[in-house]
Amino acid sequence: MSRFRIKDQHMWAFFVLPGTLLLVLVLAFPASQSLLYSIYPEGGGSFFTLANYSTLWGDAVFRQVFGNTVLFVALSVGSHLLLGLGVALVLNQEIFAQPLFRLIALLPWVVPDVVAGIIWKWMFDPVYGAINDLLIKAGLIGTHVQWLANPRLTLLSVIFVNLWRGFPFVMLILLAGLQSIPRVLYEAAAIDGASRWELFLRITLPSLKKMLAVALALDIVWEVRRFGLIQAMTQGGPGNMTEVLSTYIYKQYFQFFRFEYASAVAVVMTIALLLVSLPYIWMISREE
Amino acid sequence: MVQEQKGRWFSSTETYGFLLLVSLFAIFPFIWMVSTSLKTEAEAFRVPPTWIPLKPNVDAYISMWVKKSFGLYFLNSTIISLFTAVLSTFFGALAGYGFSRFFFKGRRFLIGFFLATQMLPGVLLVGPYFKILSKLGLYDTRTGLVIAFLTICLPFSTWMMKGFIDRVPDVLDQAALVDGCSRFGVFFRVILPISAPGMVATIIFAFLLAWGDLLWVICLTSTESMITVTLGIARTVGEFQIMWPMLMAGALLGGMPAIILYLLLQRLLVQGMTAGAVKE
Amino acid sequence: MDWIRKISWAVLFLGVMIRSSSLAGAQEKVTLRFSDWHLTESPWDKTLADAMAIFEKRHPHIKVALEPVSYKDKETKYTVESAAGKAPDVFHVHAFSLPMFFDKGFAMDLTPFIEKEGGNKFLEAWYPLCIKLVMHKGKVHAMPGDYMSMVLVYNTELFKAAGLDPKKPPKTWEEFLEYNLKLTKAPEKWGFAVLGAKDPGFELRFSPFLWSFGGDYLTPDNKRSVLDSKEAREAFQYFIELYTKYKVMPPGVTSMNAQDVRTQLAHRKIAWEIGSGWTAPIVNAINPELKAFEVLDAAPLPVKKNRVTTIWLSSWIMSPHTKHPKEAWELLKFITSKEMELNWFVNNRVTSSRKDVNQEPQVQGDKFAKVIASQLLYGKVVPQIPQWPEIIDAFTTAVQEAFTEMKTPEKALADAHERINGILARRR
Repeated sequence: MSRFRIKDQHMWAFFVLPGTLLLVLVLAFPASQSLLYSIYPEGGGSFFTLANYSTLWGDAVFRQVFGNTVLFVALSVGSHLLLGLGVALVLNQEIFAQPLFRLIALLPWVVPDVVAGIIWKWMFDPVYGAINDLLIKAGLIGTHVQWLANPRLTLLSVIFVNLWRGFPFVMLILLAGLQSIPRVLYEAAAIDGASRWELFLRITLPSLKKMLAVALALDIVWEVRRFGLIQAMTQGGPGNMTEVLSTYIYKQYFQFFRFEYASAVAVVMTIALLLVSLPYIWMISREE
Repeated sequence: MVQEQKGRWFSSTETYGFLLLVSLFAIFPFIWMVSTSLKTEAEAFRVPPTWIPLKPNVDAYISMWVKKSFGLYFLNSTIISLFTAVLSTFFGALAGYGFSRFFFKGRRFLIGFFLATQMLPGVLLVGPYFKILSKLGLYDTRTGLVIAFLTICLPFSTWMMKGFIDRVPDVLDQAALVDGCSRFGVFFRVILPISAPGMVATIIFAFLLAWGDLLWVICLTSTESMITVTLGIARTVGEFQIMWPMLMAGALLGGMPAIILYLLLQRLLVQGMTAGAVKE
Repeated sequence: MDWIRKISWAVLFLGVMIRSSSLAGAQEKVTLRFSDWHLTESPWDKTLADAMAIFEKRHPHIKVALEPVSYKDKETKYTVESAAGKAPDVFHVHAFSLPMFFDKGFAMDLTPFIEKEGGNKFLEAWYPLCIKLVMHKGKVHAMPGDYMSMVLVYNTELFKAAGLDPKKPPKTWEEFLEYNLKLTKAPEKWGFAVLGAKDPGFELRFSPFLWSFGGDYLTPDNKRSVLDSKEAREAFQYFIELYTKYKVMPPGVTSMNAQDVRTQLAHRKIAWEIGSGWTAPIVNAINPELKAFEVLDAAPLPVKKNRVTTIWLSSWIMSPHTKHPKEAWELLKFITSKEMELNWFVNNRVTSSRKDVNQEPQVQGDKFAKVIASQLLYGKVVPQIPQWPEIIDAFTTAVQEAFTEMKTPEKALADAHERINGILARRR
C-alpha cells in the first residue's frame, strides 16, 4: 500500500491527462495560431476583421464546395456503412477460410489514399485504363466511358474509389463488435421463433450502437478531411464538380497563398464538423 | 433446428456468393498492380492494355529497391509507424479507460475535445508544426514525425479504445478492486487482456494512418535518409513521366508490413472474441 | 568538494577548446542545402549530381547537400520551410511561382552580388525578358535558368499519311483547323490534343491562342480583366470548338495532363501537340518504337493576327535566411554559368535563358532546339502578379465547363471574367 491514498474517483486524472497534455501542447496551440489567421485581413495588416468570413459567405464557389463536401461525405460514409456492415455480418459466421476472406476485405486499406487515387485514376483512363478495357471486352459498354471527365460521373467515380478504400475500417470495427455479442442472446430469441430480420433489429443493432457511433463519428470526420484521394484523381475538377473543403483549403493556402482566407474556411469546416458530431459525442459519453 | 442455425445467418450460396463478389471488388486493383509491376515501362503504356505481361520481369522491383533505396524507406516507415501505433494505442487505451470508467466534471467536454482535434485540416497544421519541431531540433527526424503523427492518431485511438473498453463489464473492475488490486492493476491485468481484439484493431489502423501519410512527411523532412515508403512512391510521379511499374511495385511492397502486422496479430483478434462475452 | 573543482576546470578547458575551434572554423567546411525537383527524375538527377561534384571539386571548402523534392509538392515544401526561415540555401522554382515568393519575402535580393560581378554588364548575358521576370521592385531576386518556348511538335509520318507535306506546317490557325480535319479519323486517331486538367502547363498551351487572336487576359496595368473583348471571345470559342464542334481532339480532355497528351503522341493517337524541348525525349522514352527523334519535327505556332508564343522560365532562388550567402552565390553563379547551361542542354535538351548558350552549335544543330530558340524572341508571359494562380484557376474552370458543355463558351468565359475582376478588386 502506498503512503498516499488517492481517492479512486480522482484516479481519472492519471489516465486521461497524459493524452490531454500532449494534445494541448502539440496540437491545440499550433492549431489556434493557424486559426487566428482567419481574423486578420488578407494582404497584411495587424487589425482584426471578420472580412474573410463575409468573403467566403458571398462566394458562389465556396457554397458549391460546401455542397459537394456534404454530398461526398454522406454518400461515402453511407456506402462504407452498408458494405462494411454487410461484410461484417457475413464474416461473423463460421465459414470456411474465414481468416483469408477477412484479410482480403482488409487489403484496400493497406494502400495509402494518395497512391490509391493515382492508381485508380489510371484505371479509369478512357483510353489506357483497365476498367474501360474490361468492360468493353465483357461487352458491357460500347464506347469508352469518361469516368473522370464526364461531369455527371466524376463525383460518383471518386466516391466509388473511396468506397473501395474505406469500407474495411467500418467492417473491422463492426466485426469486432459483432463477435462479442454473446450467442446466447440469439439462441434464446431464436427459440422464441424470431426471424433473421427481427434478430438483427432487436439484438444486433442495439448491441452495436456504440461501435456504430464510434465508426460513424470517425468516418465522417475522416471523409470531410479526405484530401489525397481527391487531389490525385481530379484536383477538384472538372469545373468545380469534385472540389471539396479540404482540396479548396489546400488550393487557397498552397497555390494562392491566401493564408488568412484559408484559415477562415478551415474554421468554418471545423465548426460544421463539431456540430455534426455532437450527437455522436453525446451518445458515446452517455452514462450507462 | 437451432443447432443447425448456430453461427449461420445466411445460406451457403448467399454467403459464399457475396464473399466472392466482395473479394473480387477488393482484389481487382491489386491484380492490375501486380500485372503492371512486372511490365517494362513501355509496355505499361500499351493500348489496349495487356493484363498478362508480354515480357514479365522484376526490373521495377530491383529499381525501387536498389536505385531508390527502398529498403531505407521501409526502415523509416516501419519504425515511425510502429512507434506511433503502439504509443498512440497505449495512451489511447489509458485515456479510453479513464473516459469509460470515470464520470468526472468536464468529461463530456474532454471527449469532445479529443474528437475535435481530429477535425482540423492538416494543411493548417503543417506550418506551425514545422516551426515547433525546428525549434526543438526535431525537424527531419523520425522522433519529430512520431510526435506529429501521435497527435493525429491519439484521438482516434482513444475513441476506438473507449468503444472497446465500454464493452468490458464494470463488474470485472469491481471484482478486482475488491480483491485489493489498484486501478492501474485493473487496467493492466484485467482490461487490456480482455480488450486485446480492440487493441489489435486500433494498432493496425493507427499503423496504417501513420504509414499512409504524405503531407506531413513532405513538410517535416528534407534529407534522403528520412524518406518514407509513401513519399518514395509519390516521387515516382515526376514532372514529365510517371514510372508506372515502379509505382506499382512500390505500392505493393509498401503494403507488406501492414499485412504482416495483421497476420501476426490476427490471432489475438479472434482469441479475445469469446472472452469478451459475459463470464460468471 | 574536490570533484566540483575538477569539473569546473574541465568545463573551462572544454569551453576554451570549443571557442578556439570556432575561430579556426574559417576554413571549416560549409554545407549548402540545394533542392531541386529534377533530382527525382532521370536523366536530370545524374546530370545535377555530377555537376555538384564538379562544383565541390572547385570549391573544396563547400559541400553541397542534395535535397530532392517531388514535382507537385515543391511549392508546398518550400512555402512551409520559408515561412519558418528554414528553406534550403538554393532552390529551383518555376517562374510563375516567383511573384508569390517575392511577395512574401522568401527570396534574397541578389543586387549586391551582381554588382560585384559587374552589374548590368553581367546581366547582359541573359535575355531581357528573363531578367525582367526575376525582378521584384526593380531588383533581381532570382537567377534565370531554363528558358523555352512552346512550339508545335508533329509527327511527319502521320502528316504524309493524311496527304499533308511535313515540310509545310500550318501558318495560320485556320490552316491548323483544316489540317486537323484531315488528320482526324476517330476513334483510331485524332489531330490534336491538349491538356485540360488543372495544371500549370495549361496556360503555356492556351495563351498563344488568346494572344495570337489579339486578345489578352488583363489590362496592361493588371487591374482589370479583358476577357470580354471580341478577340478574347473569338479565341476562346475557336479553342473550345476544336473539341466540342469539330471533334479533332480525343475524348476526356478535362482529365488529361501533359503526360497523357505525350502518351497519345507516342502511340500515334494524335498527330501533334504543343510542346517544347522536353517533348521528344519523353515521347521516345514512352514508346521507343516510334523513333521520336526521327519522326517528330517542330514548327513555330500558327498565327492569327501576330506571331507570339508562351515562354517558360525556371529560376533559382537564394533563401534570405541562408547562413552562407557568399557560398550560395558561388553555387548560383555556377549553375547558371555558360558552361553549366550548355551542359543542361546537351544532357537534358532544355534551352537556356542565356543568349550565348543558344548560339552554340549544339543548340543550333538540334532541329527542335533551333525552332525553340528562334521563337524565344516572340515570347510573352502571363501577368506576373501574386493573384495569378487564382486567376488562372478560375479561367481553367471556365475552360473545363465549356469543354464538358456544362456551360456555353460565352457564358463560361463571361462568368470567369466576372470572377477574375472580383479577385483583382480584392487586393488592397
